[in-house]
Parts: sequence; C-alpha cells; structure tokens
Amino acid sequence: MGGRSCAVMAAAAGRVFRLCRRWGAGPRAQMLRLIYTTTAVQRKNVGASGPEKYTEAFIKKQIEEFNLGKRHLANMMGEDPETFTQEDIDRAIAYLFPSGLFDEQARPMMKHPREIFPEQRKIQWGEDGRPFHFLFYTGKQSYYSLMHETYEKLLNVEKYQDQLIAQDLPLQKEKRNLAGSRWLTKIELEEMLLEKLSDDDYSRFIQLLQKLTDLPCSDIEEKYIQKFSKELPVQMQKVVIEPLQYDEQGVAFSTGEGRRKTARATAVVYDNGTGKMTVNGKDILHYFPVLQDREQLLFPFQFLGRIGKHDAVCTVSGGGRSAQAGAIRLACAKALRSFVTEKEVEFMRQAGLLTVDPRVKERKKPGQEGARRKFTWKKR
Amino acid sequence: MLRSLKGLACRSLKLEQGCGLPTAAKECLSSIASQDVPTPQRPRAVFHTSESDPAKHTEQHEGRHYSIPLEEVKAVFPHGLPYRFQQQIQTFNEACVMVRRPALELFAYLRGTNLAHPAVRYVIYGERGTGKTMTLCHVVHFCSRQGWLVLHIPDAHLWVKNCRELLQSSYKKERLDQPLQASAWLKNFKTTNERFLREIKTQRKYVWGKRESTEEGRPLGEVVEQGLARVRTASDAVGVVLRELKQQSPLGTFRLLVAVDGVNALWGRTTLRKEDKSPVSPEELTLVHNLRKMVMNDWSGGAVVTTLSQTGSLFKPSSAYLPQELLGKEGFDALDPFVPILVPNYSPREFESCYGYYLERKWLQHEQARTEDGKAELQFLSGSNPRQLDRLAGPL
Repeated sequence: MGGRSCAVMAAAAGRVFRLCRRWGAGPRAQMLRLIYTTTAVQRKNVGASGPEKYTEAFIKKQIEEFNLGKRHLANMMGEDPETFTQEDIDRAIAYLFPSGLFDEQARPMMKHPREIFPEQRKIQWGEDGRPFHFLFYTGKQSYYSLMHETYEKLLNVEKYQDQLIAQDLPLQKEKRNLAGSRWLTKIELEEMLLEKLSDDDYSRFIQLLQKLTDLPCSDIEEKYIQKFSKELPVQMQKVVIEPLQYDEQGVAFSTGEGRRKTARATAVVYDNGTGKMTVNGKDILHYFPVLQDREQLLFPFQFLGRIGKHDAVCTVSGGGRSAQAGAIRLACAKALRSFVTEKEVEFMRQAGLLTVDPRVKERKKPGQEGARRKFTWKKR
Repeated sequence: MLRSLKGLACRSLKLEQGCGLPTAAKECLSSIASQDVPTPQRPRAVFHTSESDPAKHTEQHEGRHYSIPLEEVKAVFPHGLPYRFQQQIQTFNEACVMVRRPALELFAYLRGTNLAHPAVRYVIYGERGTGKTMTLCHVVHFCSRQGWLVLHIPDAHLWVKNCRELLQSSYKKERLDQPLQASAWLKNFKTTNERFLREIKTQRKYVWGKRESTEEGRPLGEVVEQGLARVRTASDAVGVVLRELKQQSPLGTFRLLVAVDGVNALWGRTTLRKEDKSPVSPEELTLVHNLRKMVMNDWSGGAVVTTLSQTGSLFKPSSAYLPQELLGKEGFDALDPFVPILVPNYSPREFESCYGYYLERKWLQHEQARTEDGKAELQFLSGSNPRQLDRLAGPL
C-alpha cells in the first residue's frame, strides 16, 4: 500500500483528468493503469494507448447532458419534452442540420450515449488490486466462465435425463426448429463478452452449444440457448404476380415496369394479338432501326414461344438506345409473368429475364481521366 | 447423280455461308442449272406462278412470284433494278418478282388509260424498303410487254449528286450539262427501245455544232448515236429525245410510259456546286429541266409513273415518306394532280410467300430458320418490311 500519486491535468473543457503512470523505482510503487487520455494533451502516445476508455462518471454525465439536450431540442421544435422519442430527435436533427453527405454515419446525429460510446470493460479489480472474477488470471475470464456455465447446463440436462429414465418417463422429443435460426457469429460473441476470442475458442463454444441442443431434454435450458441464437431473416419474399386484368373488349392484358441504366419503361401486353409492338406511339421498326435492339425486345416472347400471340404497347423515357431496349425487355418480361405458369416464371428468372441489370455508369475518379482510364504515363 | 450434285451444292453453300456467297453460289447453281435442263423441273410450290406475262396477272396471282427470263431482264432492265435485286438474280440465276396489289392496281389504271386525254401521273409512295422501285419495275415490264415505249429513268437522284463534270451548256448559257450521266442513260435507253428508235423520225433539224447536225426526218436512233459519240452534246441529245417523244406521242403511233424513280430529286436541292462554289439548283441542270417538262401533264398518249424515294434523297429526314414531305411545295404543285399509290409492308400472306421462296431456293441455311418459330422471329424482327427481311435473311 504505497502512496498513490496522481497528477490532475485539466484540459480546456475541464472534464478530463488522468492518472499518470509513475515510474517508481522502489517495490512499493504501484502501477496504476492509464484510464483515458485526451488527444490534446498526449499527442505522442496516441497510437500506443489503444481505444479510449470512459469512466462511469463520464458516461453518466454524458447521459445527463443528452437528456437535457433532448428537452432543449423539444422546446426548440415546439414539441412536448416528455413525449419526445428518438425518431423525433432524428427528424429534428435532420431538419436543423441538413447534410448532403452520402454516408449515414458521417451525418450529424444525436443519440443516447450508450449507443455512441461502445460498451467497455469496467475495471476488473478492486481498490486492493485483487481481481473480482476468479478466472481473471486466465486472461479470457468471460470466455471461460461462459464455457463453465454452458457445461453446467449440460450436466443439468443430463441429470434431468437420468432422472426421467429412472422414472421410466418418455424423453421429450420436441425438436427445435434449427432451420430458421443461427448461432451468434464470432464478432457478435466478442461484442457480448467484451473480449477478444480466437477462432478455435469460438468453434469450441459452438460445438458445446450444439452438443447441448442435441440432447433430447434440452428444452429446460431453452432460455439459455436462445441467448446465443438468432432468427434468420425471413426467406426471400415471394414476389407477388399480379393477376390478369381485362379491358372493355374482354381482352386480357397485364402491365410491367422495367429499367436499365437511366431508362424507365412501362409495357402493357395484350392477349390475342399478332405480335405488333408500339413504342411511344411508333412502330418498333421505326423506333429501333438497329437489329440488336429489336432482338432484345424479341427475347422474352421467343423464350416463352409466344412470338406472334401478344400485342404490346410500351412507353419509355431516358437512357440511350440500348438502355431503352433493355428496359422495355424487362417490362415485357414482367408483364408476361401473369400469362404464364409458375414453372415458366422460374425459368425466366433463371434466364435472367426478370432481373434488373445493376450495371450503371461508373463514377469518374480524381487523378484519372475516366472511371478506369489513367492519364497517359510519361516516363519523365 | 443429280441429287448428289445438289447435295454437294447445298453443303458447299453451307460452308461458304457468310463470305462471298453470291459468287460461290452462282458457280454451284450454274453448274446445277446446266445439269437441270434435261430433267423436268419439279412443280414449284404455291407461291410461284408460271404466268410470266404481267398483263395476265390478276388478284389470283397476288402474293406469288413470277420469273422473268434472263434475256428479257437484260433487254428491258439494263438499268433500273435495285442493286440487291441484281445480286439476287445473279445468285439464284433467275429473276423472280412478287406480284403485289399496288402493281395490280396500276395495271388496271394503265389498261384503262384514255390516250386522248392528258397523261395521268401516278406517284408510288411508301416507307423505306417497302418495294416501290420493284413495283415500278413490274409496271415497266408490263408496259414493255404490251409494246409501249418505256422511258425509264432509274434514279433521278443520280443526276443531282456526285457529278464530277459539269459543263456549261452550249444551248443555254445559264444551264449546266452532265455529259457522263447523260451518255450512260442514252446507252441504256438505246438497249431498251431499239425498234422504236428506228421508227420514230425527227420533226425538225438539230444542229449540234459547227459540222454536226441532224436533218429532219432522220430516225431518232441517229440522235442517240450522236449523243453517244459526242459526249459533250449528250445532255442536249437527251433533251432532244424527250422533246421529240413528247411531241409525237399524241399522234398515236406508240404509247409512251415515263417511269421515273426518285422523282423528288427533281424539285429538291442538289449537292453540286459551280466553280465559284455557289450551289446549283435543280433547274440549272439540263437533264433535270428537260425531265421536269416531261413529267408535266401537257401531253397525251401515255402515262407517267413515278416513285418517291427517301433513300437517295438529299437533305430530307429519314422518317419522311409522304408526297408532301418529300416533294416539297414546288414539286407537289408541279405534280398535282396525281394518283397516289401506297405500297405497304408485306401482308402476312406476302410474307409467307417471300419466306417460302427463300426456303425453296435454299437461301435460309440455318436450321432454326426453317422452323415455325424461326419464321415468327423473322417476321417480328423484320417488321414485315421487305428490305429488312432481305437483309436479315442474307447471313442466315
């Protein structure tokens, strides 16, 4: 128990203090860890100090300031401070500080300090220097404690199982739906434990979890297991195919929209037709003098073998010649879905007729002449 | 043995598909043709008709192809057939023309022309590549079979563009002569109307220069010879020929058909320039001036059949096809009144016929082209336009 020396240095804001390391020569000198730094003061060790650490007091102060600020903001916006939710805050900030930046994270934001400051490990040892946790000296205390806990649950389940067998009761066999859920990823687990894991550790933990769930009576520990599993996102939404509509004469028709690069097109495909197509009021032979474009238009019908059976009336705008042709092709294919069986829709999808072509013009970069082309290289 | 030869030809056609097809095919087909003569030909399919006299073509023959014997082609059409059609004649070794409704309509009108009345003018118009020139050629064939004197100007646009030599006319100072074009046309005119040139006599004396002149009463052939021999006076010779024909046609000894392709060239602009770089307007050209007079309806004893053409026209947008647009105000007033005849794209029946013809001549080599789906595809992609279909079927 030696003396503790600490130097308090106040920065301009007045809310920073630090304990400095004392290179004590004697055995009684105690090493005290650096808690956090300010960039203004300690510039030379910025790289070495690692991520900043925040004290409880600091976080508490931030939360107070946040709440105060929230009330001020509500007053400014003329709303009731009591019922001012996070969405309202977001809207107000976006209104007061409009930003044209593309990155959402770069725009001004005002959120609860818990979301902004990442969760960090509090100091693991007390005033006397003794660590709180019994596994501190393993280095990965949370991980090992987790493994212990899980194994304990496993033993629990096995004991319960033995009891059931002893009583000759049938073992419950409700299978958990594993198909719709997944285990936490390594990164998520690290976030949960607030310490780094190796791949090996992670795989051992998952294996243990798996073993636990494979036991027949693992339902009793269902709650514990659910902490480590996540629902998979819902299966790809089934695209709803619109039913056919009928116009005055009783002819079935269907509409579709398509786009390609900057071109947007809509197509209305009628049944009982002769294969005539009109684009923006003109015949395709006049609108698309190039054979390639007409071939693109032909493709959906040819694929389904319905070349002379449908009429189409299309409108298109934007883009160039090829883009407009591609847009109309997509629109026609989407419209034809209503006329056709599900299997053929699947075939069309696999043929790429129903997918929007994501290729757009690549941005020109500074220091280059174009998107990819560099300036002429001169040796000197 | 013949069959194996034919098979060989087909295979060689397949091999040389896409490169220099006409010449190779011509050799093979000509070898077959020479072998064909002894054996009787198989009856040709539905879309053919053996009626080779256009005068006997009726609605019954509509949509069918009839073939013109090659000697007749050389005699009647030394110029005037579209270039691609000429290539097709060389490839298939026969000239097959489809009978279509506009041509039948024209035949009906021509049969009923009253030779005492002033000449009626017919203007064939339509979108690009629908078969206007071919209709005109059909009409020319009909008239030549009937014994008319055919004055066929293959493409009036050739006279208003790409002319290297422009001479100042000796006859009228302001006008310009085009010796090359005039002499080329005179040569072809001579081929078409040999016998008429012997019969028709000049009605006055023409002086060509210091030592040359044509007396009154000499056959028109001499004027033509004069124009061919002395190229400098060719344009004037053309003018003389036209004048004589116009004057003598009301007399009734012969019936005159003036067939002009691309008549909108006569009233448009030219790309020619004089030596001082000022643009030449069409009436300053002798040939155009004389032709304009010919196309007027102030003579009787015949008919004037003309075609509008956007393809060779100068300074006109490609979507223009109506007479008003292509002729301009001046031309429209000059040609007014006329009988307009629209030539549309192929009807489904005509399309089938053309497709069947190509199939029968083994022009469509691709396996898929022979299926129903292939036919539907061709119809869609070509939009039933004859030119597009021809171009599409080429590489197949």
